Amino acid sequence: MSFQKSWSELQKMARACRIVVDTLDALEGAAVPGVSTKELDRIAREHIVKAGAKPAFLGYRGYPASLCVAVNEEVVHGIPGPRKLKQGDIVGLDLGCVVDGFYGDAARTVAVGRIGDEARRLMKVTLESLFAAIDLCRPGKRVGDLGHAVQSHAERHGYSVVREFVGHGIGTHLHEEPQVPNYGPPGRRERLVPGMCLAIEPMVNVGGAEVEVLQDGWTAVTKDKSLSAHFELSVAVTSFGPWILSEPYPYADQQAEARHA
Amino acid sequence: MPEVAPRDVIEVPGTVKEQLPNALFRVELENESRGQVVAHVAGDASLLRLRPGDPVVVELMPYDMGRGRIVRRRS
Repeated sequence: MSFQKSWSELQKMARACRIVVDTLDALEGAAVPGVSTKELDRIAREHIVKAGAKPAFLGYRGYPASLCVAVNEEVVHGIPGPRKLKQGDIVGLDLGCVVDGFYGDAARTVAVGRIGDEARRLMKVTLESLFAAIDLCRPGKRVGDLGHAVQSHAERHGYSVVREFVGHGIGTHLHEEPQVPNYGPPGRRERLVPGMCLAIEPMVNVGGAEVEVLQDGWTAVTKDKSLSAHFELSVAVTSFGPWILSEPYPYADQQAEARHA
Repeated sequence: MPEVAPRDVIEVPGTVKEQLPNALFRVELENESRGQVVAHVAGDASLLRLRPGDPVVVELMPYDMGRGRIVRRRS
């Protein structure tokens, strides 16, 4: 299965992704010292509902919130609660919404106040590794090429990538084929074709790659309690190259009748 | 939200029953009486000298539970 989307379906994907990233922008401004992660979840939900969408995570496999919050050594899937953000924390915000039957999914790690050099470097390298993978979203490349790009960039800087969680195809479901690991050899796995939509999401740790899931059944933390960062964007493969779905279609001027196929 | 990657191999303790041609072994699994599998050895040349009765650990894939690979000896 290739899960190719038509042009009109990509438009709907873009709408959902736009709402997610707009909401993340609002959350980034709200992530200040003293605010609880529960409060961020409330802001996220209200923002999404106001935009005419539905939170995608709420109820997904029993997940109890709209937003995933991952503070410092938390990797992903942190459930919002009474914990208050502190100056110097880095906090991963992962959010999804569904509108008109199509899903958008994105995440970023943001700084709470002033943060240390190591945290800043980790965030920079993780974001760079995401874009290294996005650059490869062209027809003919393979899913393994993306993971290889993420892994080699992160490890070049002495960091490690998480194996237990992977990116995924996205569309009329939050998680679709194919899986998009952030590691592995190039040239393997599914071939990319125009119309494929992938949620690419490197999770990078300062220390070891091992993670464990806490008692709540969701929150994943690094085993050695080292800092972890997570960035995610939903990207469509087009015949011209990658289209980050939360951005305007970037190839409109390349062809009078700009089509993805 | 990242997808939880399925752990697609499972390790099961077993005992070598019989040596077969082509570096294959018949291994009896010790849990849940899942019976016997035909297993090849994984890389380590010392595993080629397995004898019937040797305790080993076998890796199984969900796609074909009748075949496995012997990943190490078990002592």
